[in-house]
Amino acid sequence: MAFLNALTALASVLLLVQSPRASEYQVKAVFLFNFVQFVDWPRVTAADSARPLVIGILGSDPFGPFLDETVRGERLGARPIQLRRYREIAEIGECNVLFISRSENEHVPAILSVLKNRPVLTVSDGDAFTNQGGMIQFVMDKSRIRLRINLEAAQAANVTISSKLLRVAEIVRPPRR
Amino acid sequence: MTATRPLFLIVILALWASPAPAQQRDSVESLKHLSLDQLINVEVMSVSRRPERLSEAASAIQVITQDDIRQSGATSLPEALRLASNLQVAQLDARQWAISARGFNGTAANKLLVLIDGRTVYTPLFSGVFWDVQDVLLADVERIEVISGPGATLWGANAVNGVINVITKDAKDTRGLLLTGGGGTELRGFGSGRYGGALGAHANYRIYGKAFSRDRTVLPNGLDATDDWHMGQGGLRLEYDAATSHHLTLQGDWYNGRVAQPTAGDIAISGGNLIAKWAHPISARSDVAVQAYYDRTHRDIPGTFGEDLDIYDIDQQHHAQVAARHNVVWGLGYRLINDHVANTAALAFLPAHVARQWVTAFGQDEIAIKPERLHLTLGTKVEHNDYTGFEIQPSGRVSWTIDSASTLWAAVSRAVRTPSRIDRELFAPGQPPYFLTGGPNFRSEEELAYELGFRQQRGALQLSLATFYSHYHGLRSLEQVNPPNPTPIVIGNGQDGESYGAELTAQYRVADRWRVRGGYTEMRVHIWPNPGSTDTSRGASESRAPNRQLILQSSLDLPAHLELDAVFRSVGEIAHDQVPAYADLNARLTWRPIAALDVSVVGQNLLHDRHVEFGTPAARREIERGVYGMVQWHF
Repeated sequence: MAFLNALTALASVLLLVQSPRASEYQVKAVFLFNFVQFVDWPRVTAADSARPLVIGILGSDPFGPFLDETVRGERLGARPIQLRRYREIAEIGECNVLFISRSENEHVPAILSVLKNRPVLTVSDGDAFTNQGGMIQFVMDKSRIRLRINLEAAQAANVTISSKLLRVAEIVRPPRR
Repeated sequence: MTATRPLFLIVILALWASPAPAQQRDSVESLKHLSLDQLINVEVMSVSRRPERLSEAASAIQVITQDDIRQSGATSLPEALRLASNLQVAQLDARQWAISARGFNGTAANKLLVLIDGRTVYTPLFSGVFWDVQDVLLADVERIEVISGPGATLWGANAVNGVINVITKDAKDTRGLLLTGGGGTELRGFGSGRYGGALGAHANYRIYGKAFSRDRTVLPNGLDATDDWHMGQGGLRLEYDAATSHHLTLQGDWYNGRVAQPTAGDIAISGGNLIAKWAHPISARSDVAVQAYYDRTHRDIPGTFGEDLDIYDIDQQHHAQVAARHNVVWGLGYRLINDHVANTAALAFLPAHVARQWVTAFGQDEIAIKPERLHLTLGTKVEHNDYTGFEIQPSGRVSWTIDSASTLWAAVSRAVRTPSRIDRELFAPGQPPYFLTGGPNFRSEEELAYELGFRQQRGALQLSLATFYSHYHGLRSLEQVNPPNPTPIVIGNGQDGESYGAELTAQYRVADRWRVRGGYTEMRVHIWPNPGSTDTSRGASESRAPNRQLILQSSLDLPAHLELDAVFRSVGEIAHDQVPAYADLNARLTWRPIAALDVSVVGQNLLHDRHVEFGTPAARREIERGVYGMVQWHF
């Protein structure tokens, strides 16, 4: 930690000018990849265990090439990890992790109501995502990316989040409506 | 977690925007190998945050982190500042400290800008800092940035030889209750409480209170110096983050204390401040911030002087990324002081009551000559003050990133130390005939500084070297009014000077559980009278600093929930005052049986029964070895 602080200045020099968005989304891409490993989905049939694990992006893709690079050639056990991009909610079929882009911010309540009780881990960096019923929200804490997890939403959808992931996250309860 | 890997990653991340696909793959692979703990600590640049520290990166910056402070066992801001090897820090007595950078130290050292959460705390009385009333809850400090060398362009007046920037944590990072208590031989007793929580979804707050009592120091003849000190302070911070990315902060502190004096009544010190800040990102490439504060101090030193000072200050800053290669910051500021001095038979400030204004404007452009590699920062500050009118303080800085691990930087800056009340308005004794009078024509002291530095990160080792040469013109002098009569004397600008030296700092993570950091500074300050000056002090009154100092800090995590930390310092002699060189050691042993509880024993100045750090033989106080115990409970 001390190192990090001491060299923030140096890092800033290096980070100047080139699109800063990129580095943020590279780290977020790696988080999505991690989520696949630290989350369990209910398995309906034995055949499920050979199917690909799907990470979906709904809306405009902020990751550029980074998510593709991150999951390229990756497997979890026997299951390959696949990436799919969706323009709208109706296109979503089989999906394990769904990243909802900020471009869909206005539609988040509608999207979540469609997904309600489906075992899809919903992730976004939109403001108030967990308050709206989303499961994992990326939160910028100064220059670091923190996780905010709505555990009740995940439990309601039968998605089991590992304690290792919970330990590094802030657990929140959405306000009752 | 190991701290080196994320750091390595920052460098990788930085380079990763470059077109080479191989590098992209490398950085992806490195990130994928991080644990979740490490991943949440990787620093990234978000769209709402500009890379604001470029200008500082091309400067001699050292950062004291919360861990450094906690592990050192420091109990006050000056004690924490001892951890910065580019500062000269000397304790005078129970409450007074002399702190400066690049020489020019003294009880009224006047070339340093000190900020606490954006609030300037040096006094317009003498451009120095009353360290006895600059306190924070150390557990709430996020970091202290210490820049040696001129920081005048961005930071403002008085940043002639350095800037100390104390930054406390956001309220959302200090949730819960923190109780601390303890006592010992020098720090007799202390206690503090802090509680932080959320107010709805968008607001967070914290409140705190603290009090302490410090023992007397000792006169060279072994008698009691009668300077025991008691202080209480409280404060709050409230933050509001609206969904539309308005960020509001309101914070304030109040304090009250008493210090014993041997021959007169107790010194009474009290005051408070209130700061309001608003920050708003306009777009990904532009943001604006406004800050306003009010600061009040009261000081009554029976037999010497009293003061009531009110400061009103408002600053505005706007940053914008202009075209691809220009990062522009500009701002405006206004400052008003209202100062009432209660004069005594010993000395007088005339007029006793003044209101003074400062208007400042600054602009700075960070230019990416070669993105990721070569950057040039050009800027200037223009200030208008009631004493000398307009002052211009330009600087140029260049940083060259040689490779992912190494940066070379250079800077040329002009800075001024504008007059303060003491230079123009001090008279002694309090009634005519005066022995000493303020200089009616005293003008700003000017500095031209050249700096060259190098920073490198290799694995677990981080290294930084800063070298400097500064020339000073018109330094404060004491001139005979009717030479050769030694008195009366008047304050003038009759001296010039130069300083040069090198500041080396390093951090090394020996193992996961053992970290060492340290620094060595070697420097020289020469001051001489200009033709026509009758000052023969050769700078004795303006710069009292050792030629060298070494600081080493070791932080070791032991089994059985124990931590063992030590800070060693070796400080050269202060020749002007015949203060001998000394070395001393602080050590801390902490036992953390559960995550919420810390039990510590700290020894300060362990190597000597008592030692002296500053002052002429007649005026000095000796600092005794101190031991204290502390219990801290967080829940």
